[in-house]
Amino acid sequence: MRRIVASLAVVGALACAPPAGAQDLVVGVSALMTGPSAGTYAPVVEAMRLYFDNVNKAGGINGKQVKLLISDNQADASKAAADAKKFLLQDNALLLLNISLSSTYAPMVAEAKRAETPLLFAGSVCPREVYPKADAFLYCTTAFAAQYDSRFALDFIRKTAKEPVKLGLAAMAIPISRAEIDFAEQQLPSLGFTAAGKEVIPPPTANYTPHATKLKEADANWVYSWAPWGMQVKTLEALRTLGWQGSYIAYAHLNAEDELVRLKDDKLFVFGTNAFFQDDLPIHQAIKARATGASYPVTQLGEGWVAAMALEAILKQAGANPTRASVSKAMNALKVDMQGLRGAPIAWTDDNHFRTSVAYRVYRWDSAQGKVIRVTDWTTFDVK
Amino acid sequence: MQLIANIVTLAALYALIASGYVVVYRVSRVLNLAHGEIMMIGAYLLLTTGTIAGGPPALALPLALAASVLTGVAVYVVLMRRMSGEAVFAAVLMTIALGILLRGLATLLWTGQLHHPAQFVGWKNAPVHLPGGAAVSSAAAFTVVATVVVYAALFAALRYTRWGQRLRAVGENPRLAAQRGVAPASAHVIAWALAAFTGGLAGMLLSLDQGLDASVAIVGLKTFPVVLVGGLDSLLGALAGALIVAAAEALAIHYIDPLVSEVAPFLVLIAMLMVRPWGLFGAREEIDRV
Repeated sequence: MRRIVASLAVVGALACAPPAGAQDLVVGVSALMTGPSAGTYAPVVEAMRLYFDNVNKAGGINGKQVKLLISDNQADASKAAADAKKFLLQDNALLLLNISLSSTYAPMVAEAKRAETPLLFAGSVCPREVYPKADAFLYCTTAFAAQYDSRFALDFIRKTAKEPVKLGLAAMAIPISRAEIDFAEQQLPSLGFTAAGKEVIPPPTANYTPHATKLKEADANWVYSWAPWGMQVKTLEALRTLGWQGSYIAYAHLNAEDELVRLKDDKLFVFGTNAFFQDDLPIHQAIKARATGASYPVTQLGEGWVAAMALEAILKQAGANPTRASVSKAMNALKVDMQGLRGAPIAWTDDNHFRTSVAYRVYRWDSAQGKVIRVTDWTTFDVK
Repeated sequence: MQLIANIVTLAALYALIASGYVVVYRVSRVLNLAHGEIMMIGAYLLLTTGTIAGGPPALALPLALAASVLTGVAVYVVLMRRMSGEAVFAAVLMTIALGILLRGLATLLWTGQLHHPAQFVGWKNAPVHLPGGAAVSSAAAFTVVATVVVYAALFAALRYTRWGQRLRAVGENPRLAAQRGVAPASAHVIAWALAAFTGGLAGMLLSLDQGLDASVAIVGLKTFPVVLVGGLDSLLGALAGALIVAAAEALAIHYIDPLVSEVAPFLVLIAMLMVRPWGLFGAREEIDRV
């Protein structure tokens, strides 16, 4: 009941939100808030909202309130385009945020470039244009990184496996996931791994067992999956139902920490660039303290907190009376200490709008200790 | 053996979902395009009853099923009853609007995250080992049992009970049935309640097996080719259609490519529409009317 009231209150607050004042720092957020993949994006929005509620209560930035204008694009390109136009022409937003599926990228990128306004991808897949040599107006704080993720995961398997690796691969039939798993497949010969099946699973699937059957019959002793969390974990559960005993490594999405506790599977490894809340750093405690009343578990708010920290630093550095140009200038020389939420800072330069280095950790459930444990500490890659 | 087990479990799920499409269509001639969403709401109701009542599933499941039935009744009383006398096309459009509404409500009430109702109702979902080295999850095994029971009950009830005969009468000729004292509205409300029951049950079992988010509704929509292949107004057809479509999917995954499994149901559907547009067991005049 409390959740229902809270949800209705959020809707009411959004609907009745007063228009941005001339002195507000206006940020236009087009996000996927409802629909099948909303669970990946909505917690990012919630974390950012909570973060800036606190910033505003403490007096705002340079004496101005931060106004997040949040619109649900439902992963619809036309809605994202309408959002971007409204934010830029009507609301005079200083910058735009995309927190949604890649289907919404093209129209927002076009509008941002036309208005020479920075567009930040936060919690959504980083587009190719943010890597060196980066597009002038596109930036990204999102944890996962195409190709770097697979390089790390495969290297981890190589170092961890005690016997010759027969690697099964599992992707979702969406371009980003397929491309990453195809990239991983290309690396297998150089690593001395034997390919043991590749399943590209259409979303949504009513039964993952037929796909798991093929991976098991291919005699994989490791499976690597880089896809939305639901697909990763459902494939694993189907494999376990079939009696498969191998090791499974998957990307640590927002809900990975809670899921490790639920599954209690010692051979499920998750890797990612965000520290888990079980590390209980001061920043985790701060998030917990500020996240009372959140509709998503606090363990899912880390990604949004990272984006919010970066956004706060941008707006601080953009000057007392920021313009789109000064915001852009601030973003090109940004360095934000993540206070342990990540193993490397968010650091952007003129030609690198992803980050100059990326660091990974691996976690798993440990039955002996009855808790999630860290398997490896930060392993850092330079982004070139 | 594992391949057969995969086909049977998938077919059972599709058949359970499809029965809801068939019952509503057979009685009211309305193609309920919100059936996937009603199925999803059923699963979310299990999450709610599981959270409130906790385990075991013997308590939470019946409560959620009862709430599902009430949902079906409410949908009919509040929305679909007002479409009586309107063109069937308008009623179908109403179900599309209902689907959009339910999807939005689900996110508002239960958030968009992946839930696991099994956690709350104490469902372990342990593997069930079958002869020949095959294994299925206990939720999948329970789905097969539930589908057999539901279909047996539906066949028996529609054939041998008084209200079953009334449902059939309203479906075949509502005006004549009304003249004989059978109120079409009472038959329609029973049909919507039954569809919400079977759809909700399918959603609950699917969510116990694989977790729960808004994508459950899309699984419901993916079952649509099953009812078209089998025949929109035939329960027997729904069973046959489910088996054919599930076999096409599982065989495509196993022998061709997993991606082909996505189009396999529609390839079967196109083939059926070319050869027998009213479906395997559907009544010929129904497709003419559509």
